[in-house]
Order: sequence, then C-alpha cells, then structure tokens
Amino acid sequence: MQDYAQQPDTLSAVPPSLPPRAEATNTITASNLTKKYGGVTVLNIPSLTIRNGESFGLVGNNGAGKTTFFRLILDLIEASTGEIQVDGEQVARRDAWKSKVGSFLDEGFLIDFLTPEEYFAFTARVYQKSEGDLAAFLQSMGDFFNGEILGSGKLIRDLSKGNQKKTGIAAALIGDPQILILDEPFTALDPSSQIRLKRMLNELKTTRNMTMLISSHDLNHVTEVCDRIVVLEKGLVVRDIHTSINTLKELESYFAV
Amino acid sequence: MYKILFQHYLLKGIRSPGYYKNLIVNIFVGLSALYFLAVFLFLGFMLPKLLEEITPGTDPAVTFHGIMIYGWFALLIIRYLMQPLNRLNLEYYQTLPVKRSVLMNYLILKPLLNPVNYILLCLTIPFAITGIFPAYGTAGALRFIGINIFLIWFNSLLAPLLKRKFHNLLLGATLLLLIGCGLAALEYFKIFSIFALSQRLFGLLTETPFIWIATVTPGLLAFLLNKVYFKQNYYPESFERKRNNRATTQRFTFMERFGKIGELISLEIKLVLRHKRTKSTLYTALLFLFYGLIFYPNPVYNQQPGWLLFVAIFITGTGMLIFGQWIINWDGAHFDFLMTRDIDTHTYIRGNYYLLMALCVSSFIVTTPYFFFGTKIIFYHLAAFLYNAGVNIYVYLFGATFNTKRLELTKGSAMNMQGVGYKNFLVMIPLLVLPVMLVLLFSLFSAAHIALIIIAVLGLVGILFRAPLLRVIDRQFLRRKYALCTGFRKSE
Repeated sequence: MQDYAQQPDTLSAVPPSLPPRAEATNTITASNLTKKYGGVTVLNIPSLTIRNGESFGLVGNNGAGKTTFFRLILDLIEASTGEIQVDGEQVARRDAWKSKVGSFLDEGFLIDFLTPEEYFAFTARVYQKSEGDLAAFLQSMGDFFNGEILGSGKLIRDLSKGNQKKTGIAAALIGDPQILILDEPFTALDPSSQIRLKRMLNELKTTRNMTMLISSHDLNHVTEVCDRIVVLEKGLVVRDIHTSINTLKELESYFAV
Repeated sequence: MYKILFQHYLLKGIRSPGYYKNLIVNIFVGLSALYFLAVFLFLGFMLPKLLEEITPGTDPAVTFHGIMIYGWFALLIIRYLMQPLNRLNLEYYQTLPVKRSVLMNYLILKPLLNPVNYILLCLTIPFAITGIFPAYGTAGALRFIGINIFLIWFNSLLAPLLKRKFHNLLLGATLLLLIGCGLAALEYFKIFSIFALSQRLFGLLTETPFIWIATVTPGLLAFLLNKVYFKQNYYPESFERKRNNRATTQRFTFMERFGKIGELISLEIKLVLRHKRTKSTLYTALLFLFYGLIFYPNPVYNQQPGWLLFVAIFITGTGMLIFGQWIINWDGAHFDFLMTRDIDTHTYIRGNYYLLMALCVSSFIVTTPYFFFGTKIIFYHLAAFLYNAGVNIYVYLFGATFNTKRLELTKGSAMNMQGVGYKNFLVMIPLLVLPVMLVLLFSLFSAAHIALIIIAVLGLVGILFRAPLLRVIDRQFLRRKYALCTGFRKSE
C-alpha cells in the first residue's frame, strides 16, 4: 500500500521525454538506464519499451549485458542511473511488481535442498495459489517434465542440470505471471525438451498473451519464439528487429566473424 | 610426482579464496590455536607434578605409561569424529598419466603432513624433558618422543579408514565408546588391567633400545589396510557412495496457517535439517544448553552477577546466538529466488524475526530446569530471555544485513569458519558485553537486581515496539539489498 502512496513523487522525478502514464500497454519501460562496474559501463539503454504481450528476445555475445539487464528488471542489482518501470511502477526497492513477474535466471533461483514438489508447493503458497491450482498446474506441466521431475525422490541439488532448469522454468510459471523472464532457457535441455519448451512458450503467448523476455545464444530458438529481437553488444542496443523470415539470416550475418 | 601433489595440496590451502579475505577471522583462529599450544606446552611441563599429586609415590613416567593406551584410544575416537575425510577430488589427476598407486599413497599419507595432527607433541615433548628424562635419560626421552610420533601416525591412518568403513558416525562413535567403557569396566572390577599392560608395554619400549622401533608396525599395518581398501574402492563412485535414501517431501501443516511467514519459517527449518553444517551446529547448540551445569552449581561463579548474567543470556538464547549469526546469510544460495518471488520485504524480515523469536522462546523453555538451582536463577533467566527477545534479536537482524558473504552449508566440519567475518564478533559486543558490564557496574553497589530490572525493561520495550523497530530493519535491509544479492552470488 505504501508503494502506491509514494508513486506520485517518483513519477515527478521522471524526465519529461518519457511516454505519459496513460499508455498502460507499455509493460516494461527502461529509461536512461546504465549500469557501471568500477567505472566500466556494462549496460547503457537510453530508452526501451516492451509492450504488453510482446515476446522479446535478447541476444548477444558473452558480456553483452543480457543478464545484467534482466537482473535490473528483477531489482537484484542497482542501476547506476535511470530506472525501470513495470506497468508504470518503479521496480527498484519495491515489491508490487513481484506478483506480476515470473523469472528464472540461474541456480540462485532454485532452493536446492528441497524436493521439486516442496519447491513448487512453497512457490505456489507464496503466490497464494490453492492446492488444487498447484495440482492442475503440475498436471499441465506433465509433458514438459517428461516424468523426470515429480516423484523422483531426489532433492533439487541432486537433479541433473537439465532437470534443474525444467524445475526452475516451471516454478517461474506457477504464479500465473503477466511477464516471464528466462535467461538462456534452452541451454542444458535435451532436444525433445527444447522443442517442448518452445511449444509451451508459443502456447502461453497465444492463449494468455504473456509478455516474455528470453535471452539465448541459440539464434534458431530465439527467432522461433520471439516477435522482436534485440541485439546487445558491450551494453548497447545495436539492433532492434521485428522478427520476419529474414531475421535469422540477418542475425547470423551479424554474428559471423 | 609426490612433490608436485603435495605442492598442490599446500597451494590449495594458501590460495583458497577465503584465506586472505578472511584475515581477521584467520588471526582469531590463529590466536586461539596459539592459546591451545601454550596450554599444551605448559601442561606438558607441569604434568610430572600433577601426576605426582594424583598418584603419590609413583614415578610420573610410569603413571603416564599406564594411561597411554587409554589416551591413544580417546584420541582415536576424537579423530574419528573430527578428522575430515580426504575427498577423492582427484578426477583431474586421475585422467593424467599418473600411476594409481601414487595417487593412492598420496591420499592416504596426506594427513601425516598436516601440522595440526602433531599438536599433541606440544604436550609430550615437554613431558619427555621433565618426566621421562629424569627416569630414562636422554635416549629414553628420544625413544619416548619417537613412540609418540609413531602412535600419531597410527591414529591418523586408522581414523580415516574407520570413518570410511563405518559411515554412520553416530553408530561408530557409540561402538568405540562402548569398547572404551568395556575396557574401563574390566579395569574397575580388576578383571583385566589395561593400565598395567600399558605400563609394562610402554615402560619396556621406552627403556630398551631398538625394540621401540617396532611401534611403527601398527602404523604400517594401517597404511597397508588403507591401501587394500583403496584398491577395492578406487573409483569415486564406489568411494563416495551416494546416499541412496530417497528424499521425502515434508510438510509442516502446522506452519501453513501462518501464511507466507509460516512458509518462510518452514523453509528455514528444512534448510537446517538438510545441510550438514547446520545439522552439526544444531547438535552443538544442544550441548551448549548444558553449559549452565558448569556454572550454576559452582560457588565460584554463582555468587558473581556478571557471570550469572553472561551464562543466563548464553543458555536462554542458545538457539538464537548460534543460528542468529547466519540469519539471512544462509539464504544466500537461493537469495535471488526469494527476492523475485511475491514476498515483500516486510514479510521476509518478519519471517526471520519470528524464526529467531521461536528459537529464543524454545531455548528459554528448554532451560527452565535450571530453575532448580534457586530462585535467583529464575530472575536471571527471565531478564536474559527478555533481553534476548527484545534487544539482541534486532541486533542480529540489523547485523545480518552487513554480512554479504555466502554461507556454504554443504561442507560441514567441526571447526568451519567459512562465511564468518569479523562482523560476527562485533555483534557479540552489544549482545553479551553491554548487559554484563551493566550488571557488574551495579553490583559494585550491591544493586545487581536494579541492573536486572533495567535489562528486563529494555527487553520488554523492545518486544512492545517491535513494529517500528522492524520497519527500521526493513529500511536497512532495502539499503543493503543489492550488496547482499551481489555478495551471495559469489560462491567461494
């Protein structure tokens, strides 16, 4: 409640160049966003808007700033300048966005001493889902899990990397998020699981109009899933492409050495 | 090849990431090691006098020889419990063209190079000078030292073997203890005296030239047994023997009625129960509860308000004092998760607060039997409990936001200082020192009870004003959030 009360102050501090608040379709907006580590700028995004329902792919070589951008959206690191808003509300040091965003970046998003069941149950209760909701959700994930996650009698720390990833991605979806953020979801997954994941993401996009932010090193996957692809290089947005038949070619030629 | 392996072993110790960063903790550990060293040296020099007092008329050397088997056995049990196993983290070397036997010997002999294992020599060498030398001369004293070194080798080689053979530490320790008790019982009922046997055996060994060298044989035997064991279990998979017990999904239905806070608390309970380090700490905490038995019956301490309050704060807050230093910090491995889920800061802090409170209350309840030591103890315990629950609890929560080092919970050993910074020691000052100073000050005017009332009132005020105090901690947590996130992401 506190957060809503303070909102007018934060908005008045926003530079005038920003779109007005009425534009509720802008799910995520970044403005004047920079992140510096020890004087080196690792991310510099003057202005970026991700619209409601957009599937947004982020590609770039190692160190381009993909994960940094995601961590800034998730308020896990502090921006050096500028800010990020989700649905017109600042994320930094706030809590309101948390109920709208589902995310899985790395092992830090797993609780490795729980069984997958306990982990899902914990997450579901945090999002105030009932047991029935959880059971229905897990059933819908049955295909993706391929019978390897539930009832395995293992703690998450004893699962293989691929199964850990599946567990984390599923947990990101439990809260019925409006926005989904996944960092390299395809790596470590076996080919069948990659295909299943792509199918699942496309389904979520069409049936629930979920906004998705996905980073990937695999240009094939990302062009198949995302409508819009942004290329980062050394912290700067160097390409912002609406996906078409030529996109893959364009990206391949961009990254060719 | 051996040289390179042992060089790597040394480098691993020196270059471990925590080594320099943790300088202050290392100094602290070093100082306490020096303290023990000094105590051992002193004890070694004084031992002949002590033994004279205990058994007047007998040569201290003879008495010492008599207890040597018992001493050896006791040390074996301690070593069995404490000595960390050399993990076969040799995969890198295993794939290189290095002979298997070289790697095996290296693994087996590694403990012999650890100076910590020779700490007992600090006791026996001075004793050789003051106790053995007068009776057996220089040669005897040297032989005595040699025998002791051989026995240390024997123990250092035997303990890991036992540890590998008997995986269940509790069962193994009980078994060893039972054997020890059995021997002691034989002694007590005068059926068979190990004491006399030990006396004759070690007396003979110290006395006669050359035969003493035979004491190396048990060590050699242990070495060979180790080799046989390793030959059969060379591959890490058979060696590390993954525990195959199925993890069972647990639910604390009782906690579910407390909503998100209850969920957070049951998460922390699972965290404690499913990590080696926290579990062994839990057992230590249980031992600390008995701390009062040393102090309360002792007239030297139980007349001194300072000591009484110190002990009271310590034992009524055992759970909090021990786990409080890890609060927030122990969520390090999944901190990003907790920060991105629908758990607002206020809820997260309150979850931790109520967990500490639960620890506090349960420690207080468990220590109520101490009330039998007198009504005075009741007042001290009540004041200490209120102080813990109303003041110390906030100090811990506030202090936790400064500890950005990720706590590695999977590696558990008895003296694990990983993730402990000097800040943990700084926290101790308001926790224990301030109230004790207050009581000491007032007891100068024989008014310790007034100090107790002040302490209790402070605690009560802290409990009553928990809402604003917790908001202060919320704000502090938000200020430190990014530093915590960044710190926890770096695993050592």
